[in-house]
Amino acid sequence: MAPILTVNDVKLTIDGKPILKGVNLIVNEGEIHAVLGPNGAGKSTLASLIMGINDLKEPDSGEIIFKDKLINGLKITDRAKLGITLAWQEPARFEGITVEEYLKLSGRNNPELDVVECLELVGLDCSYLSRFVDDTLSGGERKRVELASILAMRPKLAVLDEPDSGIDFASMEDIANMIKTMRDRGTTVLMITHREEIAEIADRATLMCDGKVVQTGNPKEVGQKFKTMCVKCEVRNPELVGGE
Amino acid sequence: MATKDVLDTVAKKFIQIGLPKDLFEKNRFNLLVDRNRVIVRYPAPGVRSEVVETPTGVKTKVYVEPGTKLEEPVTLCFGAAETTEVQTTEGEIIVGEGADVKFQVYGAMAEGIKLKHKNKLKVRVEKNARFEFLDLHYNGEETFVELDTETEAYVGENAYFRSVFKQTRGRAGKVRIVLKATVDKKGVAVFETKMIGKKDDEIYVEDVIHLNGEESRGISKSRIIAVDETKATFVGETYGNAPRCRGHIDCSEVIRGKDVTVKAVPVVVVNDETAKVTHEAAIGSIDKKQLETLMARGLTEDEAVDVIVQGMLR
Repeated sequence: MAPILTVNDVKLTIDGKPILKGVNLIVNEGEIHAVLGPNGAGKSTLASLIMGINDLKEPDSGEIIFKDKLINGLKITDRAKLGITLAWQEPARFEGITVEEYLKLSGRNNPELDVVECLELVGLDCSYLSRFVDDTLSGGERKRVELASILAMRPKLAVLDEPDSGIDFASMEDIANMIKTMRDRGTTVLMITHREEIAEIADRATLMCDGKVVQTGNPKEVGQKFKTMCVKCEVRNPELVGGE
Repeated sequence: MATKDVLDTVAKKFIQIGLPKDLFEKNRFNLLVDRNRVIVRYPAPGVRSEVVETPTGVKTKVYVEPGTKLEEPVTLCFGAAETTEVQTTEGEIIVGEGADVKFQVYGAMAEGIKLKHKNKLKVRVEKNARFEFLDLHYNGEETFVELDTETEAYVGENAYFRSVFKQTRGRAGKVRIVLKATVDKKGVAVFETKMIGKKDDEIYVEDVIHLNGEESRGISKSRIIAVDETKATFVGETYGNAPRCRGHIDCSEVIRGKDVTVKAVPVVVVNDETAKVTHEAAIGSIDKKQLETLMARGLTEDEAVDVIVQGMLR
């Protein structure tokens, strides 16, 4: 499979603190790629840099390449138009915007958009179409609507930041199936998580620690390394777990 | 009453600024006034009204018979199709005991006109009645209106009154909106104001709710979007004067532009130890996460702002 996203030696310092210390990552087209790591490893910062959000349009050094195009410095909208999108760990709430309107906005360039089907794929029925995307939805429902909006958009690459956070244990399998559906419908998924059990649904996984990539490979092996070494590591030193 | 030609001319000008075509095509109006001329008057069942044309506007008195329940809203329009120095409207609405009605009131100021509009309204919602007053304003982008409107309402025992002021299209102009309510035992008053100010518009909104009856309720909600050089002020006052009454002020103002001035003044006063009045006020730019979420779905920044603003004003 050809790379859809290549992160080349990306370094980033925020407020004088190095957050990313030379990250290298290749995500292949059509795969689910999990980025696993403890809190503070730099995973969400990497996700922000890929989408260009949170005022992180470009790294201090290094390259982010999407389908042979350097996307450093591009605006969020321009990245989205190339086919990249992101689902937030805690999705935004919108006053006065219905689920139907939100899905239609997300999928406005998808000629095959079927908003009811998108909802059904995330385990919600069509009664949700008229609900507002605001505080009247529970955290779990909002998360499902967010994933439905990605299905509606049908991007080339979806960056999912902690898709499992705030989801009860019983619904984890649903979330895993939704992510697989995304992939099966042609979207490459880059999934940020700190739970090895959700990372195991990936085709490949990368372990990050202290702003560096430690290992990329089979999700089970990467998950095992995370479980046995990273979780117990209090100093968060990638060299202790055999990092780059 | 005016001829069909006059109605067609007015319709053309009001539809141009966004008034729904259906209102004219399906003869929805129970009362349509252009400046000081009554163009359409068609009674609604259970609703008695007196309308008097004055040199500068109209005086209306509306009485909703007790027990009247209407599925369809009573539809009124007070507008101006041409520039006039001042338009004055005065009204009194009495909603009889146990009635349940909704008034949909359109304020339509045609494209390009200049006008001072003064409005005074007294509302009385009797025991067990339910009354919704939706005041929808349509102005042209090149229209400039100085609007000064005052509403005083009495909400009787176990009655419900909701007043919504919504500027749907065009510039706000220079606006002063004052809404006052006195609420009796177990009564409910809800005030909602939704506006967008552009260029050098000036917006002043004042909601005052006196919760005088036991277990009465009051909600004052405002959503103001201030763009360019708009000056906007919201004053929300709620007085909890009776046992177990509850009040809440919810004010959210969004600024977009360097020369915008926005102020929110929530005043909560409680005179009974079992009463409770709360408030939340937020002033700031458009929520960044909302903006970035829509941009990550491919909307431009301007498109995303428009979606967020229209949602807030809905």
